[in-house]
Amino acid sequence: MSLMEFALIAMILALLIPLYEAWSDSDVWQTLLSFASVSTKASVMILFVSVLRDDWMIGIVGVIILSVGNAGLMLLAQILKRLGDS
Amino acid sequence: MMIFLSYLCIGVGLVFWFWGTSYLVGQRSVLYKLHSLSVSDTLGSMSILFGLLLRRPREWPLLILALICLAMWNTMLGYVLAYCTARDANDHKITTSAVPGEFYE
Repeated sequence: MSLMEFALIAMILALLIPLYEAWSDSDVWQTLLSFASVSTKASVMILFVSVLRDDWMIGIVGVIILSVGNAGLMLLAQILKRLGDS
Repeated sequence: MMIFLSYLCIGVGLVFWFWGTSYLVGQRSVLYKLHSLSVSDTLGSMSILFGLLLRRPREWPLLILALICLAMWNTMLGYVLAYCTARDANDHKITTSAVPGEFYE
């Protein structure tokens, strides 16, 4: 097992922490925060795997998630805020 | 040398990831967690991506696009979340700290 695979396993462990937090916390903002972190970490891991496999179709998926995924979360935050206001 | 540098960047990125995410499990306020998380996710991920760039210079367009998206969108998302949660906290403070019988606007 090479050093890169150890790094990938460490990344998977780092990904589990916000997943646990999202599962255990009931506050909507903390849950949104946790899922924003999961999204960023998952997309970086996708890019990491695409470098390992040298397969750049997977790499494009990671870049698309990075550029579009957070925009969706921002819209969701605005909706939650409006719901809280009304 | 490049391989060593790329391992170094990936290692630094992982340290940032674990450092920022460890605050998530604590009992701090949302804004505190948001700050440590957005710093660690953004900087840690950029360090990991830079390590990948050192390892695969041939794919620099895609990896640099990922770095730019990460820097831009993660920062913006952190700002939007901070704005939304701060507004929520203020509204909560007004409604709960009001003296009974006294109405705030």
